[in-house]
Amino acid sequence: MELIPILSTIILVATISTFILAVGAYILYKVRERKGSQAAAQQPAEVKAELITPASAPSQQAQPANQRQPIFIQQKAGQPQQRFTPVPQAFAGFTNQARQYQGTDYSQQRGYESRGLTEEERKNIDSRFMKYTSEGYVPAKDDKAGGALKWR
Amino acid sequence: MKINQEVKKMVITLDNRESDQSGQVEAKKLLRRMIISGIASLILLLVIIFTLPETVLGVKSLLEYTTIVALVIFLFVLLFRYFAILVLAYLYINEYTYSAPESGYHPFVSIIVPVYNEEKVVADSVKSLLDLDYNNYEIIVVNDGSADHTKEVAESLVGYQKGKYSDIKVSLINKPNGGKARALNAGIRLSKAEIVLCMDGDSQLSPDSVKLAVRHFVNREIGAVAGNVKVLNRRKFFTDLQALEYIEGLNMARSAQSFVKLVNIIPGPIGLFRKKALEEAGFYSSDTFAEDADLTLKILANGWKIYYEPNSISYTEAPAKLQQLLKQRYRWTRGILQSIKKHKKLLANPSINFGDTFILWTMFFEALIWPFMNIAANLFFIIAALAFGFSSLIFFWWAGLGLLDLVTALYCVAVEKEEFRLVSYSLIYRMFFILIIDICKAMATVEEFLGIRMTWGKLERVGAKA
Repeated sequence: MELIPILSTIILVATISTFILAVGAYILYKVRERKGSQAAAQQPAEVKAELITPASAPSQQAQPANQRQPIFIQQKAGQPQQRFTPVPQAFAGFTNQARQYQGTDYSQQRGYESRGLTEEERKNIDSRFMKYTSEGYVPAKDDKAGGALKWR
Repeated sequence: MKINQEVKKMVITLDNRESDQSGQVEAKKLLRRMIISGIASLILLLVIIFTLPETVLGVKSLLEYTTIVALVIFLFVLLFRYFAILVLAYLYINEYTYSAPESGYHPFVSIIVPVYNEEKVVADSVKSLLDLDYNNYEIIVVNDGSADHTKEVAESLVGYQKGKYSDIKVSLINKPNGGKARALNAGIRLSKAEIVLCMDGDSQLSPDSVKLAVRHFVNREIGAVAGNVKVLNRRKFFTDLQALEYIEGLNMARSAQSFVKLVNIIPGPIGLFRKKALEEAGFYSSDTFAEDADLTLKILANGWKIYYEPNSISYTEAPAKLQQLLKQRYRWTRGILQSIKKHKKLLANPSINFGDTFILWTMFFEALIWPFMNIAANLFFIIAALAFGFSSLIFFWWAGLGLLDLVTALYCVAVEKEEFRLVSYSLIYRMFFILIIDICKAMATVEEFLGIRMTWGKLERVGAKA
């Protein structure tokens, strides 16, 4: 039964070698790290960053029948929609305007609110005599710039 | 992938503050601790020296008995630890197999990818994200002030890229360098999603990873889900050993913790969080070097449960060289000790949150006590062989532990359906690999105790393919 002493010697030599290797590698690591170390910079309370997002959303594509429709989580009243919806842009280039990051940026879709008509008004007034403009429904005679192009 | 699509750029202001900042240990406090520890040890030594003649023991027999008792305790702890983890992991796999939640819950998920000097791997990471078997997500890449061409590579990826079911929005934040924690926070704060997935810039997710992980959030108690990390760059000596370590050491332990829904570390390569849990925890902090461990402990302290999803897989590049491996493990050890120190209130006060206290004590044991016990046991057998001629003891010691490791490796490889060839590494796993790691951990613990300053450094990436 000479096997056990031989294996014991091998294991002993391997264990001692591992100890020496581990300690030596650690010392070498510390020496190398000390050469390249530098103090961490103090971080400011706010930093400016560049946000790059796609310019336009893709058009709606027909989905095959075997693909599942996305299921949106229930929205609480007043919370912005949580899936990205495209912001209508007049141009496709990039803007470099500095602005504070706000959580509702992605869900703003209009720059104005239309006055609109109440249900009762709709029932009572013949809409053929009302014209829809950027100021909402106005009587046709009050539409001073009738027919002219307007920049939005 | 469509590169260089039309983009719009805007300058945003990021809130760089963090909710909690623990200060560095003051030199005076450290010196006081060292003096008190030294005095206590001296008193104990004097008590032993003065009372020893009153006993039947001599110095030599005292040492012998002490050694035998210490070895028996070590063996008992080793076996108890192994079987406790195995049993809990087995119970977890049983529970997972027979009662996993149904799919059907598809909340919007933001995937945050922080990158720093990852020009070789960022495109592969984003590409793997586009292959996800999920239909309701976006990708936010956060470039943390990279010095190489990461910014250019990442900018070319911005746009609506073709995913499996629909076009996926890919955005980019270019920010000054501030560390991984701040980069993740920037992406999380930009996100509007209910669920956020945080990963590493060099990781590649399996297609089912998001789908299988998000279903656990149906349970309102779950604050986060930890994924399964596997080594991507195998077929090298150290990476194969780490592959076995991830399977046997890390993932099995996570399975055991998941049985009680108290996973103690959500791995950096893949972690899903409920945004509400993140907000309550104050997001990631930069005051430790293991921000993932720190955040996990904060989430647990707020009463949330954390689950582990074994089929939500992230492939990551492990260090292939010994120096890189030591750098990584050194950072992990010091980071975990820093995280434990931040939450030390819970160590002595289980009435605040018993589950969190239990987890902290297991982390304390694994990071601090276990490496020293392992080294001491090995040193004992070396001294017994060299000084007293008991060389066969080391053979039986190795044989016993080797058998235990072999059985454990077989079980873990079978459960995870991993490469069978990794089992052969189990015979040298403990004697060689674990010993090196434990020596590194012991040194790191001493340095952390002494308060020696450390920096992040950067692991060298070569860009492996899944």
